[in-house]
Amino acid sequence: MLDVADVTFAYPNGATVLDRLKIAIPEGSITGVVGPSGCGKSTLLALVAGLLAPGSGKVTWSAETVDPPRHPLTMMFQKDTLLPWLSVEDNIALHFRVAKSSLSKEQQRARVADLVRLAGLVGAERKFPYQLSGGMRRRTAFLTSVAPHPRTLLLDEPFSALDEPTRIGIHQDIFDIVKREGITVLLITHDLGEAISLSDQVLVLTAQPATVFGRFEIPFGKERDFLSLRENPKFLELYGEVWEQLAVQIQRSRKLPDTGAR
Amino acid sequence: MSELSKPVEASSSSPSAPKVTRMQRLRAHAPVLLTQIGLLVLFLLAWQFLPQVPALKALSHAFDSYFVSSPVRVAKELYNLATGNDNSPLIWPYVWSTVYASLLGTVIGMVAGAAFGLVMSNFKFLSEVMRPFVIGMNAVPRIALVPIIVIVFGPNQVSCVIISVLVVFFVAFFSAYEGGTSVREELVQNARLLGASNWRILTVIRLQFVMAWTLASLPLSVTFAVISVVTAEILTGVPGMGSLLGTAAVTGNAALTFGVVITLAVVGVAITLAADAVRARVLHWWGY
Repeated sequence: MLDVADVTFAYPNGATVLDRLKIAIPEGSITGVVGPSGCGKSTLLALVAGLLAPGSGKVTWSAETVDPPRHPLTMMFQKDTLLPWLSVEDNIALHFRVAKSSLSKEQQRARVADLVRLAGLVGAERKFPYQLSGGMRRRTAFLTSVAPHPRTLLLDEPFSALDEPTRIGIHQDIFDIVKREGITVLLITHDLGEAISLSDQVLVLTAQPATVFGRFEIPFGKERDFLSLRENPKFLELYGEVWEQLAVQIQRSRKLPDTGAR
Repeated sequence: MSELSKPVEASSSSPSAPKVTRMQRLRAHAPVLLTQIGLLVLFLLAWQFLPQVPALKALSHAFDSYFVSSPVRVAKELYNLATGNDNSPLIWPYVWSTVYASLLGTVIGMVAGAAFGLVMSNFKFLSEVMRPFVIGMNAVPRIALVPIIVIVFGPNQVSCVIISVLVVFFVAFFSAYEGGTSVREELVQNARLLGASNWRILTVIRLQFVMAWTLASLPLSVTFAVISVVTAEILTGVPGMGSLLGTAAVTGNAALTFGVVITLAVVGVAITLAADAVRARVLHWWGY
């Protein structure tokens, strides 16, 4: 369970970015967050990741203990975080390089090989980031975040730079991996289609100061086919409903002064 | 030149790219090569024959073969220097002395510069305190320090090495510092969320950037080292290419001067090519 309880955050200049924001994400589920540009989505991620401290309220993401213990939280950044001097497999194994792991060397290698296979990177293990396409780079970055077997994964507009066909291919693989591993995911995105197809619930944030404006249950279950999903009438219906709410907030945000929040 | 802003072509190493044979490459390059050879020949002919025109000789020392020598004489001098013919000194010990001092200076200067760059880029407070001193030190022309260094260490090869270390240190230091501070915040945050301690972030991430940037300055550093060693040799008379130049100047031997200069150019090109090759091999992931 990832719990954002009445979190308020203001910038030093006094502008309130988040206003008593309440988000509950059940263990192992995916929550997509959409909102107008500059509403504070990235601030929300930084707070959850512990990179910023909330003004008031609380973020908890590892209240219960699990056995065996899992890595608490990782994040896939919007910008490229691959280390250019490491091969694909060494990038994926970054956690094992920088932190203590309960896995043996053999298990670590097996873990990386397994992820490489699931994400369709077989044959690219020894390549360096400059030899990869944009999609492969993103797959590698995703696996780097997943390798420690985290309980919570934050995705910050992770696929915004990719073209549509590449993006949908990646959606399928990351969805399958996240569900297999039972990872709780908070996804920030500008792409409504991405939010609806990947998530178990979609939240629409208001313009700044951000609170939750609308919440949508996504009924597509744990096994999804991302190619046919977009033709599903329910998908199109949800898309329309979410878009309607988002449009209201975009309209509102255009009337507000820009505080520079993201 | 920042790591991730450096343009790298994803397709540059694509295995499906058609193989270009050596012959094809040579043929494509032929017009350029022929023009270059033509220009060189033209220059050598002008150098050889223009000073034989009396009217030009009267015009300037630049057209007097006593001052500018001639390709034939220089070639002969080079032959003598290489073989010890005609009571000429053998050039090889001099070449080695200069190259040795330059390489030693490069290695020491780069290691020290990288270490300082790493520490300063990692500790903001220290960096702010040291900044004006570093900039001030860098503004001092290192050659101006030669007299002090010679007084302290004596007119010997140690002094030459120290001067090249001083020159290379700052080149390496500024590259290393730039590399250390160019580490993007996301890389550090990502590593931290993956469980890295500050120490691991320093050794696994920042150190790599520092080493890469320092190494990127290797061709420049080694060139600077040769220049500073030769200058120090001219000023101190320590045996080396510089001291040979000094001898040539004192004895008014233009052919020897050109012989040494040409040897230095060849040595310089060889060292730079070697440095480029080392850099390309170690930093292949950077697209070199």
